[in-house]
Amino acid sequence: MSNVSKSDRARPDAERKREQRKKERRAKLMIWIARRSSRNRSFIDRLCRRLIEKASTRPPEKDFMRDELIDNDLGFDPDELDRYQRGEQARAS
Amino acid sequence: MPAPFPFDPQAVVDAKSVGRPVRAGVETKRTICGSCDIACSVVTEVEKGRVVRVRSSDNPIFRDNICMKGIIAPKGFAHPNRILHPLKRVGERGSGKWEQVTWEEAMADIGARLKKIIADHGPEAWAVSTSQWNTATDHGLGRRIMNHIGSPNWISGVALCAGNTAAVNRLSYGWFPMGDFTNTKCIVLMGHNPRRHSWTPIYNYIRSAQARGAKLIVMDPRRSSNAERADIWLPLKVGSDAAMMFGWLKVIIDEELYDKEFVADWTLGFEELKVRVNEYPLERVAKLTGCDPEMIAKAARLYATEGPSIIPWTPITDMQRNSTSGIRLQSILRAICGYLDVPGGETLQGFNPDIINETELEMHHVLSEAQKAKQLGSDAHPAFTYRAQGQLREATKRVYGQEYANIVMGCYMATPSATFRAMAGEGPYPVKAFFFLGNNPLMSYANMPLIKKAMMNQDLIVTHEQYMTPSAQLADYVLPGDSWLERPWIMDSFSWSSVVRFAEKSMEPPGECKSTFEFWKLIAGALDRPEIVPWNTLEDLYDYRVARTGRTFAEIVKETDVYFKTPEFRSYRKNGFATPSGKVELKSSVLENLGFDPLPYFREDPPADPDFPLLMFTGVREDGFFQTAHRHIPEMRARHPEPEFFLNEATAREVGVAEGDWAYVENSLGKIKAKVAIKDSMPLGLVRVPHGWWKPEMEQGIETLSGAYDYADAQLCRDDEEFLDREQGIPHLKGIPCRVSKVGEESASAVENPEMEPAE
Repeated sequence: MSNVSKSDRARPDAERKREQRKKERRAKLMIWIARRSSRNRSFIDRLCRRLIEKASTRPPEKDFMRDELIDNDLGFDPDELDRYQRGEQARAS
Repeated sequence: MPAPFPFDPQAVVDAKSVGRPVRAGVETKRTICGSCDIACSVVTEVEKGRVVRVRSSDNPIFRDNICMKGIIAPKGFAHPNRILHPLKRVGERGSGKWEQVTWEEAMADIGARLKKIIADHGPEAWAVSTSQWNTATDHGLGRRIMNHIGSPNWISGVALCAGNTAAVNRLSYGWFPMGDFTNTKCIVLMGHNPRRHSWTPIYNYIRSAQARGAKLIVMDPRRSSNAERADIWLPLKVGSDAAMMFGWLKVIIDEELYDKEFVADWTLGFEELKVRVNEYPLERVAKLTGCDPEMIAKAARLYATEGPSIIPWTPITDMQRNSTSGIRLQSILRAICGYLDVPGGETLQGFNPDIINETELEMHHVLSEAQKAKQLGSDAHPAFTYRAQGQLREATKRVYGQEYANIVMGCYMATPSATFRAMAGEGPYPVKAFFFLGNNPLMSYANMPLIKKAMMNQDLIVTHEQYMTPSAQLADYVLPGDSWLERPWIMDSFSWSSVVRFAEKSMEPPGECKSTFEFWKLIAGALDRPEIVPWNTLEDLYDYRVARTGRTFAEIVKETDVYFKTPEFRSYRKNGFATPSGKVELKSSVLENLGFDPLPYFREDPPADPDFPLLMFTGVREDGFFQTAHRHIPEMRARHPEPEFFLNEATAREVGVAEGDWAYVENSLGKIKAKVAIKDSMPLGLVRVPHGWWKPEMEQGIETLSGAYDYADAQLCRDDEEFLDREQGIPHLKGIPCRVSKVGEESASAVENPEMEPAE
């Protein structure tokens, strides 16, 4: 089977199948955790959310998602947006 | 494309663990961004009835799936030029003059005129161009009305972007797979280049996968940012993707790296495929692609042995003269390597059983077979029309429980070029009424001169829009559309996946702006068929769609970020694949029945034209814009004030242009201008043409079309047979012969250089 690595290929068929089943179980568990995390209503949900946060948090120096434009965004002033929409000034900030 | 897999612990790597305090008087709403087609889950902050901020979701699953287009949305939709009231044309078509009317007046006139056109020419004389990426609350209601009235002529930009991929994938294994980025070990990007501010969630998934050790293979003529980060970069000749995949198959089959068990049990046509693949020895592939044969072989081995691997959707193979073969070759690679419907591979999700899907709402069964047969383009280029896709009805019912599966809206479309020819009076029958919603058709399909002629030959043109686009300038009625801040939404990835998300409405639409749901409801009423859209409000429709969950929309939207069924890997073991044979058809029975080559093949470029010695590609979007939109937003334009051609230095020197010069790119169809940007990442002889440029600040009306004649790349996109994919009839945008020349001083721009390096 080519959906396993070369080293995996050397192993007996039964072992590979066992490994495959394990992967599927892991994937299903991850989906379950994600589903509970998404729900975020009960203690278990929040625990799942914490688990995902912990597993996925990166140290800042390795965090490729840092982006000044997004980190520094403070939004807009509603009155200024109103004036902008009425064409009373060129920019809203 | 929508976010592929919303539950991805590895994709939440941003981990900006800051609190989310909300100021007094500020309310938050959970919603889904609609500023591009990726549909990120985000949060809006609402103050004094206005959205004042868009930020990424509080849910760690979606955290940091946000880009500059989403952040700027509150200002973009507050622009003083936004259309807030229905407008009716005054004077000749394209006069640029309008009078304000009421919705009632507009609908009464539109209904009367559309009914007359249908009475005079038949229902097929009404064509619609749209896609739900932009309109959101269409939910198939446009198709539903057209199906009841009797018109098969619905066209969309998805014909050359994702919709056609879905349709062609169905020919091989009955569904459009979605890559499992979370568990994959190898990702192959075919020219696609997701970035921090473009296709953001995909960028996140790729970076996360790489961070945990997954391999990345990039095929791209340019040294793109993903190419720079790849394990293997194949700098192939533009448009030669299908040839490259033949090379991969040659290696994988010769070295027996494929999944023999899966091939034996679940595929048809492997021996015939082998014969075809043998026509592509690596030496030939190297010549066709311009890549080193050793590197081709290395990449093929990596794909086949490091798996499970994924080949995520790419727009690049959607827009080539070998599109059908290219997409089919991707399907074949996925299948023979055993990556279909396995963890870390390509999942075939099917419909979500608890949510009424949009295909069901579209009611394709009510359109008669006689009217389906009239679908424009289906005679010559049927791949995504009823003629081809209809052959999968029984199989789709067997596997997915219903006969029609309009995945990504792309499976029952008319062919755009054939539709515009009919509109221009050059088709098998006249098309005299044209509606377009959240769509700028003049600039979104190939051959803009034909589209203009087509639109000028209409008796009725109606658009539902936010801004006065060049296409809207040719309409009879411009009706004001709402924005994603101003409506709720159910997002089911257009049936691509079984994952469903829900969005709250954040604020009221300004002026008299209405949702697409309301637009279609009014049209059904104007055609004296109000029963076709029986729901009083959008929320009523949503209650109907989610009823099987046992909750109302109001309840589910408050409680649920993601609603999905647990994937069942290798689900084909139950009912087979949704193809006529029940197997993966390496040799397509549907294409064979239609008289096409059932195996993939590669059409080489036509002989070089000495008048047009360079090649160009288009279709690439810039970070600040989505397609033809967002040029009106000052912050976005500051980043890309002018359109830019990319050339490498040697090519620029050869044609006599330098950095910052204004230049023309020209071919046998047309000519546009832009500034020259020298990029060492571009290969020799290739020109990158920016997509979708016009300038909202320029004069409106048919004489100028707000700069579209100067800048719109659709004027260079040919749709003559040599430049169309045979099976689909979509245009070749990746390698169009052209030439470049310097613009005289009189046309030079006074605008300063961009503040930010333009996107790749």
